[in-house]
Amino acid sequence: MKINFILNRQNVAIDVDPMKRLLDVLREDFDLLGAKEGCGEGECGACTILLDGKPVTSCITNAIHAEGKEIETVEGISQTELGKLIIDCFDETNAVQCGFCFPGFFMSSYNYIKTDGERNLDKIKKALSGNICRCTGYKKIFESVMLACERAN
Amino acid sequence: MKFIKPKDIDNLYETLENGEQQYLLAGGTDINVQINNGTIRDPNIVYISHLKELSGIKEKNDHIYIGSTTSFKDVIESRIIKKYLLLVHNSLQNFASPLIQTSATIGGNIANGSPTADVIPILLVLDAKLIICSKSNTHEVLLKDFFTGYKKNVMKNNELITKIVIDKNAEAKQQTFYKKVGSRNSLAIAKVSVAGVKKVSHEKIENIKIAVGSLTEYPRRLFEVEKYVTGKKLTEIDFEKVEELLSTEITPISDLRSDKEYRYHVCVNLIRTFLNE
Repeated sequence: MKINFILNRQNVAIDVDPMKRLLDVLREDFDLLGAKEGCGEGECGACTILLDGKPVTSCITNAIHAEGKEIETVEGISQTELGKLIIDCFDETNAVQCGFCFPGFFMSSYNYIKTDGERNLDKIKKALSGNICRCTGYKKIFESVMLACERAN
Repeated sequence: MKFIKPKDIDNLYETLENGEQQYLLAGGTDINVQINNGTIRDPNIVYISHLKELSGIKEKNDHIYIGSTTSFKDVIESRIIKKYLLLVHNSLQNFASPLIQTSATIGGNIANGSPTADVIPILLVLDAKLIICSKSNTHEVLLKDFFTGYKKNVMKNNELITKIVIDKNAEAKQQTFYKKVGSRNSLAIAKVSVAGVKKVSHEKIENIKIAVGSLTEYPRRLFEVEKYVTGKKLTEIDFEKVEELLSTEITPISDLRSDKEYRYHVCVNLIRTFLNE
């Protein structure tokens, strides 16, 4: 089935099985390797992308869900001003350990700062609660998002 | 495997008439897991996410209508839900995770009918009704009469849930209660959940509704317990009797999340907490 959508601000069209996981479409058909497969069941958040500006787990989202929608991935967002600011904060607070979960944390952090952005630890914890870090470095991740909120405002 | 994307709602009803077992795909958060792990093999899929008639929240006269493909995020953030159904708004805050809330739909949570489905006990105590449609028929079913067994319900192959209907005053002047016990706040599948509404006047329980999740084949109301405590003062309630009635109404199981003794005791304690509030 032919599916049209906007991918990181570019119109794209692809002929694909409509049930193919959106994560696989991004990784295999568009060579965007930022979103990762962790659990494959929507629980770990390593595959987080934005679908029409809202964060979703792309491992349990289908290609058809992208039809007519706007998709943003870590590759696109990291080029934005806010994206760069967040990366700098992750960097300065040494928030990244193995890095596997980070594209997901990055997307959820970006979405939080963009839609709310209050420098509030409880809110940040909740906004990132769909992302799991097996290195368990949550404290530094939260610190970096607190810092990013402060700078973004 | 067949995949159909109906061009409009009439075409959807037409598609559902072909007599085959077909899976409706909305948010896909549950069916995709089942397809990926092989629980569902070679399914016929009918995509419904794009059909605008099936989503959105409206108020009309005394009722609130929630389209079946409305996402949990939209339910939680809805101005109408915040105004009239604070129990729904508050209880769903910890539903799955913010990421799943964006995709998962309220009708999907009901139709999938998991014993642990978070939204069902809440809707049960609010006396929610479902509007079920097919090409030639539209009828209403009370949510309490919808399930017939583990992940089984009264719907036929050619039907779908189009709306969930709740009385605007379902919570009015009542105390509400919801507790979900899981391993962590986010992304936890409930070990036990209890929802309730009650009205107490002159210390007597005038009316009460209690529903539980994760303790039976499908979430259900505790009619016997309700009947026993109605009309009584708190001091008149014999909690041993409540436990006895409860043991006839729930059949907790042991699974990877909890054992049945634990579930039973937590349920007793939560009901006691609700009655004492």
